[in-house]
Amino acid sequence: MAEAAGVAAEFFASNRARAARAVLDQVVLPGEELLLPEQEDGEGPGGAGERPLRLNAGARSRVRVVCGPGLRRCGDRLLVTKCGRLRHKEPGGGGGGVYWVDSQQKRYVPVKGDHVIGIVTAKSGDIFKVDVGGSEPASLSYLAFEGATKRNRPNVQVGDLIYGQFVVANKDMEPEMVCIDSCGRANGMGVIGQDGLLFKVTLGLIRKLLAPDCEILQEVGKLYPLEIVFGMNGRIWVKAKTIQQTLILANILEACEHMTADQRKQIFSRLAES
Amino acid sequence: MAGLELLSDQGYRVDGRRAGELRKIQARMGVFAQADGSAYIEQGNTKALAVVYGPHEIRGSRARALPDRALVNCQYSSATFSTGERKRRPHGDRKSCEMGLQLRQTFEAAILTQLHPRSQIDIYVQVLQADGGTYAACVNAATLAVLDAGIPMRDFVCACSAGFVDGTALADLSHVEEAAGGPQLALALLPASGQIALLEMDARLHEDHLEQVLEAAARAARDVHTLLDRVVRQHVKEASILLGD
Repeated sequence: MAEAAGVAAEFFASNRARAARAVLDQVVLPGEELLLPEQEDGEGPGGAGERPLRLNAGARSRVRVVCGPGLRRCGDRLLVTKCGRLRHKEPGGGGGGVYWVDSQQKRYVPVKGDHVIGIVTAKSGDIFKVDVGGSEPASLSYLAFEGATKRNRPNVQVGDLIYGQFVVANKDMEPEMVCIDSCGRANGMGVIGQDGLLFKVTLGLIRKLLAPDCEILQEVGKLYPLEIVFGMNGRIWVKAKTIQQTLILANILEACEHMTADQRKQIFSRLAES
Repeated sequence: MAGLELLSDQGYRVDGRRAGELRKIQARMGVFAQADGSAYIEQGNTKALAVVYGPHEIRGSRARALPDRALVNCQYSSATFSTGERKRRPHGDRKSCEMGLQLRQTFEAAILTQLHPRSQIDIYVQVLQADGGTYAACVNAATLAVLDAGIPMRDFVCACSAGFVDGTALADLSHVEEAAGGPQLALALLPASGQIALLEMDARLHEDHLEQVLEAAARAARDVHTLLDRVVRQHVKEASILLGD
């Protein structure tokens, strides 16, 4: 039975690690292993005969590569854990740059520094519990607003919308958010005003809308005057002059995900006429 | 059905397949808009639907939360119209609970649960038409749904059933072959590393034949992986085209 097990083990394993550079911008799936550029040299053909002799054999020049969302370190390779397209960003200073997987997702996982829209669900003592769409409600202290002191409490009720950023967000602790930046100024964060409409979209669409040169936003801006807030947790709050315009804008943004650029331009031109 | 030969002299099975041949597989991801991830798969005449929610807050008692891992909660349900005779209880009976437990074991091996402590991942699978190989179809559908939800996984999980008739191992059994009473094996495999997530058999099989049946099941699971691979790549390409890449 031992030989059978050995044969079976060989049959089951099929290792195919590819170079990360070769699969950039292509679809990668969980279970694939990627080799970083520095390892490719060592594993090329020829083996020991073609590698140049080094005086200090132990120390190789290591480039620090950052492993982003969708990738995990597994030994000295990268293991893909989500399906999507592999992306790479060149580093500004020294270092090997960042690799990550661009994947489609609806469920948000809190990340430090992200600006999100949350809904206040409870007030307990000195903190508010805010639902941000993750696996735990985030906590928001009442002192984390601009100009808030122990005597001067902010006017926040259960059910209000809050725009803030995460200061603590890791898998082991409850996420904490604040509505001031590091200088103590609000910078647009805080309680979001009355009226308007909050709706959910996928995370990929939010990232696309927040890209620097997004055409959708420019076209929407030309259509009606509006106020809009984007939360990285997939929530968008929009407000226009009338309820009908607000609903039209919400429907357009939700549908943007499933439309090509031409269909979108058609809809915008039809709305601009009417 | 007495006298029905499962494997003819020329090597053809009841539905005309060869011994190691799979049934036709069609799958789609992202079938539900409101769930975090969803998928639908058809393996021959077996149809299964999987829906994934999570990782979200633990529902029910807080005491069930695990401090270092996510809780994977699987529920298996087979529709009342899924079998030849109408089923009385869609879920909650013994077989469904056991299937749910097996699915949970399978996916705890593949999902990276340490990344989401104190949260819960729900996987709901429903069988709409059962024509043999329901466990395998459920696992394949649930893998696609978990990938659609963006939950980090170590690898795909691909499953297939196998049987043994007249000295030959058959892969991907249909209901007729399962009902004939021979040994059946269900195997769930992580294809890239070759590791087994779940291996289940509750019949008698001589140990000399085990390796042959296991090999047939593993080969079939890898074929399933090739097909699912293609489905996922197609889905990702379509999604990223619409987002304007």
